[in-house]
Amino acid sequence: MEILKCEGIKKVYGSGANQVKALDGIDLVVDKGEFVAIIGASGSGKSTLLHILGSVDKPTEGKVVVGGTDISALDKTQAAIFRRRKVGLVYQFYNLIPTLTIRKNILMPLLLDKKKPNQEFFDQIVKSLGIAGKLESLPNQLSGGQQQRVAIARSLIYRPALLLADEPTGNLDQKNSKEIIDMLKLFNRNFEQTIVLITHDEKIALEADRIITIEDGCIISDESRR
Amino acid sequence: MWKDYSSSYVKNNKASSLSIIIAAFISALLLSLLCSLFYNLWFYEVQSLKVEEGDWQGRFVGEISTDDLTLIENYASVEKVTVNENLSDVQGIVVDVYFTNMGNVLTDMPQIAELVGLPAESVSYHYSLLSLYLIRSADDSALRWVFPFFLLITIIACFSLILVIHNAFAVTMSARIHQFGIFSSIGATPGQIRACLLQEALRLCALPIVVGNLLGILICVGVIEAINFTLADVAGRLVLPFSYHPLILVLSLLVTVLTVWISAWIPARKMGKLTPMEAIRNTNELQLKRRKKSRILSFLFGVEGELAGNALKAQKKSMRTAALSLVFSFLAFSLMMCFFTLMIVNQDMTYFERYQDVWDVMATVKSTDIDVFTEADTLQELYGVESGVVYQKAVAKRMVTQDEISEELQAIGGLENASTQYVSAVDGAWLVNAPLVIMDDTSFLAYCEQIGTEPRLDGAVILNQACDASDPNFHDRRSVSYLVENGQTTILRNAGQEDVSVEIPVLTYTRQVPVLREEYGTLDYYELVHFVPLSVWKEIKGQIGGAEADTYIRILARNRVTLDELNEIEDEVSGLLSQGYQTEIENRIQAKLDNDRMFHGMMAVIGLFCVLLAVIGIGNIFTNTFGFVRQRKREFARYMSIGMTPDELKKIFYVEALVIAGRPVLITIPLTVIPVILFINMAYIDPMVFLHEAPFIQILLFILAIFGFVALAYYIGAKKVLGSSLIDSLRDDTTI
Repeated sequence: MEILKCEGIKKVYGSGANQVKALDGIDLVVDKGEFVAIIGASGSGKSTLLHILGSVDKPTEGKVVVGGTDISALDKTQAAIFRRRKVGLVYQFYNLIPTLTIRKNILMPLLLDKKKPNQEFFDQIVKSLGIAGKLESLPNQLSGGQQQRVAIARSLIYRPALLLADEPTGNLDQKNSKEIIDMLKLFNRNFEQTIVLITHDEKIALEADRIITIEDGCIISDESRR
Repeated sequence: MWKDYSSSYVKNNKASSLSIIIAAFISALLLSLLCSLFYNLWFYEVQSLKVEEGDWQGRFVGEISTDDLTLIENYASVEKVTVNENLSDVQGIVVDVYFTNMGNVLTDMPQIAELVGLPAESVSYHYSLLSLYLIRSADDSALRWVFPFFLLITIIACFSLILVIHNAFAVTMSARIHQFGIFSSIGATPGQIRACLLQEALRLCALPIVVGNLLGILICVGVIEAINFTLADVAGRLVLPFSYHPLILVLSLLVTVLTVWISAWIPARKMGKLTPMEAIRNTNELQLKRRKKSRILSFLFGVEGELAGNALKAQKKSMRTAALSLVFSFLAFSLMMCFFTLMIVNQDMTYFERYQDVWDVMATVKSTDIDVFTEADTLQELYGVESGVVYQKAVAKRMVTQDEISEELQAIGGLENASTQYVSAVDGAWLVNAPLVIMDDTSFLAYCEQIGTEPRLDGAVILNQACDASDPNFHDRRSVSYLVENGQTTILRNAGQEDVSVEIPVLTYTRQVPVLREEYGTLDYYELVHFVPLSVWKEIKGQIGGAEADTYIRILARNRVTLDELNEIEDEVSGLLSQGYQTEIENRIQAKLDNDRMFHGMMAVIGLFCVLLAVIGIGNIFTNTFGFVRQRKREFARYMSIGMTPDELKKIFYVEALVIAGRPVLITIPLTVIPVILFINMAYIDPMVFLHEAPFIQILLFILAIFGFVALAYYIGAKKVLGSSLIDSLRDDTTI
């Protein structure tokens, strides 16, 4: 069952002589429960693709369908609500809200919808991620690895159709990097969570079921490892 | 290199440069206005003192010969010596001394006295004038607040402005911490970084400082002209045009430059101290050191309220000046408006409304006794005069025995409750004050008719009332009969020599007073007022004495509705008395207008300072919001990345603006309402009268102005933040 479908995505920045093609006709299909790694050199367009998939940015051309919704046609408000409910985003620099406690950070997408969390699911996530004892702390009181776990917990709390992770281990040491990837794999297996992971580290990409390589805004290889 | 770097930064970051330029301009304008205003107020004080008390600095009183005068005149530091003919009398010659340098007066006067052979007691100083030049003597215990008050206000203003501009610099400089980290990592010294920032500050602020200072002087000219115009008709007020001294410009320029320099130096010093790593890794984001809860905002506005509350807490330090300025300005404005209104209402009740039917024109004939005043009959015949009473007041004493005291007065405690300041027990009786109101004979006879007693000119009418001290309503205090009304005569005593007395017939006892602009029993509740005709006074003045220096004329007009009608009579009276008498004349409507103008003038001046305080707060908020983009872009990008809609993002800004503008209102309402209620109760003012006059509109306008400006500042800030590329800040590691 396909959860993500991209058709001919193009993204162009600037105009005239300064025009830069970040993505140049990306076609991509991801099925539910897949763990996909997108690799590529710096400036290849992988982060741009992730922002478009996460409805943070819009393609210049093409169509993106996530869970049956054409996100390229959404206005700003619809895109925000879609992002809140259907996509979990994890960044290299955590992007936690520094003025809120860890608990509130994790529950934020639900709070925006004025929804009460499923306590059992919340407990399960924080326990799996090893941050149950840090729930009342502020982000700056946690280590980098712990902050990234909080970011993952936040991205999963709404049980999104798609989890998009942009270099989630880029700011972590080897031990913490391995733990984060193991956790992503765990959620992929246990909850059938679809994950799209962006990395430039081939070793990390090898942990995924499928590796897509991007170069100059085009997919140059799509290799399944199942 | 630094010059190029600064030029390029200023060119490419117009908004932050503009915030510094505006901050420097506002500071220069306010400081210049403040210095100019205070110079003018100080100058006015000096000139008023010179007119009222003379411009002498030191004074000798005693036996001073011509040789002594020459000796004083030739003393090195003495500029001028004059003999004060008005004050010189048989007790000695009064010599006014002027020094070339006023600062020598306290040290040189005793030395001159010694030289001339005068005792130390013969030396006196013009303390009030000297204090205006900050020359104080340990012997002068009076509180001379004018100059220190001016200085204090200026220092407070400078300090407040330093906080504001410092914040503008801090916001702009901290936005570049990362860049300076890079400079530092490639070998720029802290001194170089500091110097670069200070040079940049100087370049940005030079023009606004000059323009602001000049505009401040121009505004001061306008304010002084407006004050002179408003108070043009106030009797006895010295009218002085705008005055200025070049040193004030130098001083205000120096103070402004110093203020701006300190403001730039504080953050520049901080920046210089940062290590390269600290600077490069600087997040410049709103952070909380420990967990805070915004329960009320969270309850009212949901998660956006909580985020706004936390953001405000994280900005607490940078918003402190704004918060304090806004709270204090609004609090001061509201209290000032309410209390001035209460004072006006109170004065209307106690003075203008109470006396509106008892006088239209009042003339004070200076240093003139009623028995030498010859124009009483002519006054009555002036066109438009309904009635005119000429009267003088005198102090006297009277013994009151226990038997004479009425039952009513005895029932409320008699004279035993009276203050010993006014009533003293003497030989089993009470010695009380018996003020005399001496009326011209015609008016006295008319008064007798008014109270229904046989008109006679050989006795006194006794105001037979004592105030009930237990009644706290001072506006309309209850009164009781003072004496049993059986005494046919009254024995008046000289107030200084009680053994000198005179006995006069009592024509009647009454509770009805003649139509005069006088109050009875206000301080001394047990004074026994005697109304006597001039004929009686002529006979007893030799024994009783105690007459006040001036004589009063109270006139009621036939047509008394408009100012023109009263002005006409005032002119006639003035014309009649101008030859031979020194007079002060006022009319009821003009006095009310003058009084209202004085109040409104004072309200305008204090209101102006409240507005200036508010401007400081608003300026600080603008400075903060101008610095928003760098500081809050990433914060809002995060909200966006987890699915916050544009409306929800805007809601955070709305809540923040609402809190900043609403806080002064919430704090001020109870702090104003409670003292106002207390005052209303204490002053026995009808709450409905106050509500009718209450300055709701002015306070509402002030609130609206605060809300409007805060909203505008946040609108600009929010537009910038939400309009910038939030996607970039999610992936740009240089912004963390």
